[in-house]
Amino acid sequence: MRIAAGALIVLSAFAADTVRLPEYQRQVFGNGVVLVLAPKSDVPMMTARLFIRGGEESDPAGMAGLSAVTAELLRSGTQKRSAEQISKELDAMGAVFNATVNRQATVLTADFLSKDSDRMIDMLADLFVRPSFPEAEVRKVLARRIDQVKSVKDNPGAAVGVYFEPFYFGAKHPYGQPADDVSLSRITRQAIVDYHKKMYAGKNLAVVVSGDFDTKAMSGKLGILRFLGGGEAYAWKEAPVPAYESSRLLLVDKPDATQTYFMIAQPGASRTSPDRVPLLLVNTLFGGRFTSMLNDELRVNSGLTYGARSEIQRDRLPGANFISTYTKTETTERAIDLALDVLKRLREKGISADQLASAKAYVKGGFPTQYLETDGQVSFVLGDLEIFGLNRGEIDDLFAAIDAVTVERANQAIQKYYADPNLQFCLVGDASKIQESVKKYAPKMKVASIREPGFGVPEF
Amino acid sequence: MTPEARIVPCYRVDMRMGWICAFLAAASAAPGSAQRIKVSSHTLSNGMKILVHEDHDVPNVAMYLFYKIGSRNERPGTTGLSHYFEHMMFNGARKFGPKQFDIQMEKNGGRNNAYTTPDVTVYTDWFPRTALELMFDMEADRIRDLNFDPKIVESERGVVYSERRSSVDNNPFGLLFEQLNASAFVAHPYQWPVVGWASDIEAWTMDDLRAHFKMGYAPNNCVMVVTGDVTHDEILVLARKYIEPIPRQDPPPPIRTKEPEQIGERRVTLVRPAQLPILMVAYHTPQSTDPDTPALTVLSNLMTNGRSSRLYKRLVDDGQQAVSVQMPDDFSFDPGLMTLIIQVRAGVNPAEVEKAAYEEFGRMAKEGPNPDELQKVRNQFSADFYRGLKTIAGKANTIGRYEVFLGDWNRLNSAVAEIEKVSADDVKRVASKYLTAKNRTVATLIPQSKESAQ
Repeated sequence: MRIAAGALIVLSAFAADTVRLPEYQRQVFGNGVVLVLAPKSDVPMMTARLFIRGGEESDPAGMAGLSAVTAELLRSGTQKRSAEQISKELDAMGAVFNATVNRQATVLTADFLSKDSDRMIDMLADLFVRPSFPEAEVRKVLARRIDQVKSVKDNPGAAVGVYFEPFYFGAKHPYGQPADDVSLSRITRQAIVDYHKKMYAGKNLAVVVSGDFDTKAMSGKLGILRFLGGGEAYAWKEAPVPAYESSRLLLVDKPDATQTYFMIAQPGASRTSPDRVPLLLVNTLFGGRFTSMLNDELRVNSGLTYGARSEIQRDRLPGANFISTYTKTETTERAIDLALDVLKRLREKGISADQLASAKAYVKGGFPTQYLETDGQVSFVLGDLEIFGLNRGEIDDLFAAIDAVTVERANQAIQKYYADPNLQFCLVGDASKIQESVKKYAPKMKVASIREPGFGVPEF
Repeated sequence: MTPEARIVPCYRVDMRMGWICAFLAAASAAPGSAQRIKVSSHTLSNGMKILVHEDHDVPNVAMYLFYKIGSRNERPGTTGLSHYFEHMMFNGARKFGPKQFDIQMEKNGGRNNAYTTPDVTVYTDWFPRTALELMFDMEADRIRDLNFDPKIVESERGVVYSERRSSVDNNPFGLLFEQLNASAFVAHPYQWPVVGWASDIEAWTMDDLRAHFKMGYAPNNCVMVVTGDVTHDEILVLARKYIEPIPRQDPPPPIRTKEPEQIGERRVTLVRPAQLPILMVAYHTPQSTDPDTPALTVLSNLMTNGRSSRLYKRLVDDGQQAVSVQMPDDFSFDPGLMTLIIQVRAGVNPAEVEKAAYEEFGRMAKEGPNPDELQKVRNQFSADFYRGLKTIAGKANTIGRYEVFLGDWNRLNSAVAEIEKVSADDVKRVASKYLTAKNRTVATLIPQSKESAQ
């Protein structure tokens, strides 16, 4: 066994040891609009993505969800087309259109056949520039979204992630205000109109197109972007990573739950942190893949859970570095203890050269199919570079940066990011059964009920 | 977070890790059409069929092994065994011991998952081409010489039970879907959940496992699909070296039980703590090889695919009675179900939604689709075909599904043409034939009293 495997590892020295983004054309118009064209012709399709800077962090205080609702309502009618016409036209092309929002950007995505590119460009321009936000549609979308947000509470695995945001970041932090039924009910049509006017402007916009098209012809067609008003560039918010003087524990009571879902967090890093590559490798080993320390201990060795993982959030502002898993109510304490043991082991023993080599091979081996295989992936990566102010070196030099990470460098990152004594615990489960046993994890503990409206958390 | 990304219908599928639901839905959306997919096919002397599709766009490979065994091959008392077995296949064989499959795979740049349905168990490997020989070595090892360590059998039982708690017991959609299936079938094995009943998860024995392995895991019961940066010749060399020496066995015995024709509506109602009600309506439909299958696919697309679809427009948009509507259709070996799944809005009576859905079904059965609508569904279907071909993983899954369920991978190259042939009259006919009151099972989840669920 060792011989066969060893021989294959030697072979892997000949693996593609670098990746490159496809050639693309990037231009910046006088009004601030960035246009990126990245042809990729394996199937006769295209993906166009419009990235609008701001995202969730640009939601005004108390109106979380405004950016998302604005994006959702673009297809509810323009000066030229009714909501029904838009849906009919999109479905008739077999196109998929969606509008999503992350912490730093609104992303409008159209996935369509190349032969329909003229029609789609006309449609996207109309949705971006001239949405009419009809009052009746605004009310409909808000009411539906309130129900969608409520239904998250029927899925404790998802609910724990939403409660975590205000708990960990605090309600004043740009990442600490998830949209809920309370914040959505405050949104008015006027707020949506104002948000669109201010944010959907040239200086906030990056358009990325990838897929099967002729660059010169597409560049000509999209020259219309130069006529968009420049507006005012969005001023990013600043906020320090939350720091706590003691451990805290939030227990959200869901009396019918038969499993406890929990997250254990400490401060992480920003998307552009100089530590990002060592952290990517360390997180892979800690909780980022099947054989990771967490999954090995909590799932494979002990059978306590279907999955245990960790994540270092990759947003513009430094976010959380967390462990996330779940277990049946009766083994809650055992699973938390074990997760803390694994964290302690990482901190005390660090990682070995063999582990580091394995993480490097894993990250590199999966990279082409995760980020560079389809027009959708390529356009996402290129937009990501625009939003975070990075350049193609981020991808083209990634494998070299991975290779350059030494065991010492990785272990320094562990000491810096995995050693906070004041861990923050967020749990969703049956409080009547676990409340006593989880007290020991934090001097400050609060219990909230999942039946309360919204995702607000008590003051600590 | 974005609420609309949350609900992906994946109820019939149980998988080793919980994160490829969305991918499966996209890849299975699929096929047929102008761009022809080329596949070379070879059957080894032990009966395993090897399908190879070359695509040199990225230096990676997708290797999918479709074993024709699933929860339909189980019996009361051992339900969930196929899915449990899917997990056990990663727990050590003769040459590569416990944990080694994953450790070797990941240190060589690969990753994997697996999924089980009522019909098949599928192992999905993704890796850089440099790991190709290792993967053949490891796949052959576990097909031939799987090891059953009693300690691992116990800990994996806990893993599967946790999966059941997450996907069924703590998930109103999963819970209701389980009750729906259990009510819709009175005789056929499609009645029990892929993940298994809780009491069976607790009780299955080492002997059950050994018998299951012997029944299903033979080369002649498997189709291997390899797509990506490979050549047909190199795959054949490796398959002959590693797989061909494994002897063939008797395939699983045929399923004798045929579901009798349903003779009256069945209903099941759950009252549970929940924020929103759910409504599911299931109709018995024929197996995938039936000539009515394309027309049923068109019918389900007309009803729920896209915001211009009949039920989205009526219930989500105009009526504001639902958050979402879905009518996934999937391949099956035996006659199965076509199921309408609706997340009902808070405070809306599911009975109203049910009535509206029947009105729309009735209208379709009486009037059929208009020509624009029919053309729209054809365009959606062919665009989905290309989407399913964007990745080597999507291609491997699609090729394997057509081969296993329709008997010939090349049927994917005529899938769009088969959809194009469906006429408005065909849609009317299948809507009248299948969407009837006596052929349906209705499952409703009602949120428990106001105090306990706002």
